[in-house]
Amino acid sequence: MYRYDEFDHAFVSSRVEQFRDQVGRRLAGELAEDAFKPLRLMNGVYLQLHAYMLRVAIPYGTLNGKQMRMLAHIARKYDRGYGHFTTRQNIQYNWPKLSDTPDILAELASVEMHALQTSGNCIRNVTADHFAGAAADEVADPRPYAEILRQWSSVHPEFSFLPRKFKIAVTGAERDRAAIQVHDIGLHLKKNEEGEIGFAVYVGGGQGRTPMIAKKIKDFLPEEDLLSYTTAIMRVYNLHGRRDNKYKARIKILVHETGAEELARQVEEEFSHLQGTELKLPDADIQAIAAYFAPPALADRAEGWPQLAGWKKQDEAFARWVDQNVKPHKHPDYGMVTISLKPIGGIPGDASDVQMDAIADLAEEFAFDEIRISHEQNVILPHVALADLEPLYRALVAQNLATANAGLITDIIACPGLDYCALANARSIPLAQEISSRFGAAERQAEIGELKIKISGCINACGHHHVGHIGLLGVEKKGAELYQITLGGSGDENTSIGEIIGRGFEPNKVTDAVETIVDTYLGLRTSNEETFLEAYRRVGPQPFKEALYGDAKAEAA
Amino acid sequence: MTRIWRETGFVENDPWVIETEEVKATEDQKPLLPLDEMIARAEESNDVGLGVLIRPADDVRKLEPYLYRIEIVAVDFPAFNDGRAFSHASLLRDRLGYRNELRAVGDVLIDQVPLMLRCGIDSFSVKNATALKRLEEGRLPGIAEHYQPTARHAEKGEGYSWRRRTVTA
Amino acid sequence: MTDKVLTANRLSDGIAVWLDANGHWVEDLQEAIVARHAEAVASLEAIGKRDFAENRVVDVAVVEVQEQDGKLWPLRLRERIRAQGPTMEYAAGYRAADPAFIAV
Repeated sequence: MYRYDEFDHAFVSSRVEQFRDQVGRRLAGELAEDAFKPLRLMNGVYLQLHAYMLRVAIPYGTLNGKQMRMLAHIARKYDRGYGHFTTRQNIQYNWPKLSDTPDILAELASVEMHALQTSGNCIRNVTADHFAGAAADEVADPRPYAEILRQWSSVHPEFSFLPRKFKIAVTGAERDRAAIQVHDIGLHLKKNEEGEIGFAVYVGGGQGRTPMIAKKIKDFLPEEDLLSYTTAIMRVYNLHGRRDNKYKARIKILVHETGAEELARQVEEEFSHLQGTELKLPDADIQAIAAYFAPPALADRAEGWPQLAGWKKQDEAFARWVDQNVKPHKHPDYGMVTISLKPIGGIPGDASDVQMDAIADLAEEFAFDEIRISHEQNVILPHVALADLEPLYRALVAQNLATANAGLITDIIACPGLDYCALANARSIPLAQEISSRFGAAERQAEIGELKIKISGCINACGHHHVGHIGLLGVEKKGAELYQITLGGSGDENTSIGEIIGRGFEPNKVTDAVETIVDTYLGLRTSNEETFLEAYRRVGPQPFKEALYGDAKAEAA
Repeated sequence: MTRIWRETGFVENDPWVIETEEVKATEDQKPLLPLDEMIARAEESNDVGLGVLIRPADDVRKLEPYLYRIEIVAVDFPAFNDGRAFSHASLLRDRLGYRNELRAVGDVLIDQVPLMLRCGIDSFSVKNATALKRLEEGRLPGIAEHYQPTARHAEKGEGYSWRRRTVTA
Repeated sequence: MTDKVLTANRLSDGIAVWLDANGHWVEDLQEAIVARHAEAVASLEAIGKRDFAENRVVDVAVVEVQEQDGKLWPLRLRERIRAQGPTMEYAAGYRAADPAFIAV
């Protein structure tokens, strides 16, 4: 993974001191809140219902044991002993004091971490496939390019006061595990016929109030033009994105109102002036950054095969965990492990300081010290020898980190919701807990198969409900919570926005509604192999509407 | 009180003024003309030494034919978080090759001055008390390491082609 | 007119606070001073503005409450959650909100 050089260290130290100065001025009353707010947002400090919230960047979701231990330490020393991993591969702390934030940032800087640009109207964390560098189907590792974009976008003077936040995602395989089509810029790394690396460029995807699927504006952007072309997009957006209405300020609205073709033309025109200038990426630089992401030296560990078979025969729970949470690796003796942060009935995406420390230890022992955070709020150890799965599993069990539910119905994604967030209309977490408990039995989960439930507590869609197979959106109606259900969303390479199926449900009726939907699916699937999403795409919403609302006409809530 | 600041220090007797209903340029002053007015004046006269005010929604590239007659371009930040003028400044310097005075006007705050400098802005119309105080003390909150080339030339930064560094004397 | 209290978040640590009868910002809603007439509300708002300007608190707001079983009970769910904290067990050593208080 990337290692800071002196330049990076100097930058991040200066940044911390700059923020320390800003916080000092704020606390001394020399800086008013309205001027301070964008500055604190650019350092990831939000104000929520109960307290401040600090969002720490985990660039493209990659970190090592030492960094994970620091995250645990911060939870312990400055917060309430836990952290929350997010749908953009970051971590959030819910109880930091403003006066402590400079010290927290200084401690983070000591392990090459920061909270820069995790909020505010600037370029945010560039996210990538959480299986990058390990997945068998990868064309190339997207993370070097995410790292280049991360550096280039750090305190970019021209793009620090955009109309709105800006999110970029990169994927390196045909299977899109980074949801690039619901990002402001989505980059699909590929090779052309000559074997050269470049990107298909998508613009204008997003969720929130007006979910939109990104439009492809360039089929193949050579890698050397990555920064020039991105600058062109950003400049067009900075100048022409709407600033009159916060809810129409993302680039997706600009694409929609201008037309993708015209916008592509404007970008191309700007790009024509920038191509080949000092923004051109020299091959040597790309190779130098890529070298940081070279896969670990994976020794053959063929003894793992019979060992694994033996362990699985002896322990059904272990077998279930392997089948569900371990995916094939490029190297046949290895697997990509998902550590589920979704214990049955637990809070999705939360980890205690003790659990974080344990993950750090296990990563160092079994996983070449490499950890990822997925946008589905789980932890990934991308390189684990099959021969080490059993001891790893035992250690995870001891920390309540061995829930065998990756991709299953209880692997729920939920935003913090009204329990924490000042923007929310309804709670997400208790609903996730209830659904998880209802479907917690292993056999039931196995029977249902892959089913991604995503819950957002408000229209801002931080829970990514629009791309949930079952999406739940919390709204407020007459002072009470109500949940709208959408079906058939997906964030993969065949991105679709979920369809609202009818009237909303009261909190105490939602789990029953989900059960009705699941039972309907089980009743109409063509075989055990037809997933919920496949079945929905085959039959459409009608059977589900009928099951939920009967023959009466269902109006959207 | 509004003062004009440049890296060489505060400027006294600055002649440039933004005209409003109430405020008009006096004998010793010169107006910063809105874009369309400046273009009209340039077309209808042989005047040089013009001053122009670029508002956020203006297309700064329209200045291209008149640059050699312009003494100052003021780019407006009506609210400090309206970042369009950063792009205007960048285009003026980079694309149009504009070399004369480029001034930030409007809601100019100390924390944005380093960003404005990097975009090629070289003079600042400052009202904010904290900003004035910090500028008087010579204490700018910038960082020397930069991760991107910008309109203002900077020394190469170590490591990769996109890095730059501001070297202070 | 419904009864009102004044709430905000403390600048230094962001903790949700309410204004009490002594003009102090306290962490317990139940100690908040209640405004029952328009003039009282106006004076709460004035104090809020002042304390915001003096950098003690941020996000000042007037919140509607009613008295229920001798307790101050915010009308909005959001404010009830603010008063009691997250509505589930979320961290060792910290209590979840009282479900009876939170309920609509």
